[in-house]
Amino acid sequence: MLNEWLLALARFLAAQDWSISLHESIYMYGWIESVHVLTLTVFLGMLFLIDLRMLGWAMPSVSAEALAARLDRPMLLGFLVMVISGLLLYYAIPVRTTQSVWFRMKVVLMLAAGVNAWLFRRRMRASSHDWTGSSVAPLRFRVGAGLSLLLWSGVVFTGRAIAYDWFDCHKPLSTVMLWAAGCVDELATR
Amino acid sequence: MDLLAFFNWLDASFLARMSKAYGGVFAVVQMFHLLALVLLGGAVVAGALRMLGVLLRDVPRALVLAGTWRVFDVALVLIVISGIFMSSAVAMKLYYNEMFWVKMAGLLVGMVFMYGIERPLLRRPQSGAWPTRLVACASLATWFTVAAAGRWIGFS
Repeated sequence: MLNEWLLALARFLAAQDWSISLHESIYMYGWIESVHVLTLTVFLGMLFLIDLRMLGWAMPSVSAEALAARLDRPMLLGFLVMVISGLLLYYAIPVRTTQSVWFRMKVVLMLAAGVNAWLFRRRMRASSHDWTGSSVAPLRFRVGAGLSLLLWSGVVFTGRAIAYDWFDCHKPLSTVMLWAAGCVDELATR
Repeated sequence: MDLLAFFNWLDASFLARMSKAYGGVFAVVQMFHLLALVLLGGAVVAGALRMLGVLLRDVPRALVLAGTWRVFDVALVLIVISGIFMSSAVAMKLYYNEMFWVKMAGLLVGMVFMYGIERPLLRRPQSGAWPTRLVACASLATWFTVAAAGRWIGFS
């Protein structure tokens, strides 16, 4: 049911003039994708610095709290532009992206990373902050930072893998993969 | 130096055979290349914003730069190693790609700038505010060019 609804939404978007123009543009799509990747380096670059600091692997002589607090604003700015450019990339190719198993995994990983970030921030606010000068953060922060690194690395990998057609609907896929990718028409013929 | 001969050699090398035969391996290496780019970008932006006096003003500049430079070094090594592997898959295509050479020129300039100008200059305690800001802007511009040219290799 969800797959049918998502595909109907994607087809509705794909039929719009702006979506077609964006998809068929010579330079605009490339520019948007470049902005997406460059803001990814700003957002994730800042986030990874914070995570690596929490793990004690980078900048151990800089206060973890100061680093997390000061990098927060450019990180969120990068995130905002990354999300907007990401939505535009989806809008340009909505049907294939909706039916990409990599895109679906990316969304799930992003949601998990979002929950992890929310928990991490809540713990930071509730923390007594007496550890921020030490080179290694308490275990609960290190676990959060490690999870953040893993989840966002997964987001980068699945995001890059969307370009590969290994599991596209026109490929010979198992029923489970067809369902996971949301290949509604191909499933109906089984 | 005959670069064409090097690219011909790379195109027929063991690396090329592996990167062409195993798409999954190529994709994983590409992911590490992207992650290293993310790390390098974060280190460059955080360091440059500190030099410009925008970020981390309450932390001594030397401390921030020492930290970001270390991250930069690790990221650069990862980028070069993964980049050579990725290049081997499409060596001859890259040789005739203008954007690839823009990226390589940017990478060379960026490395010379980082190790030959930025670090020696900023290690001096008396380096002034304006030279520091100029270094920050030049660093951002150089590495932005490298990243953008790298992305445009795929489009050209």
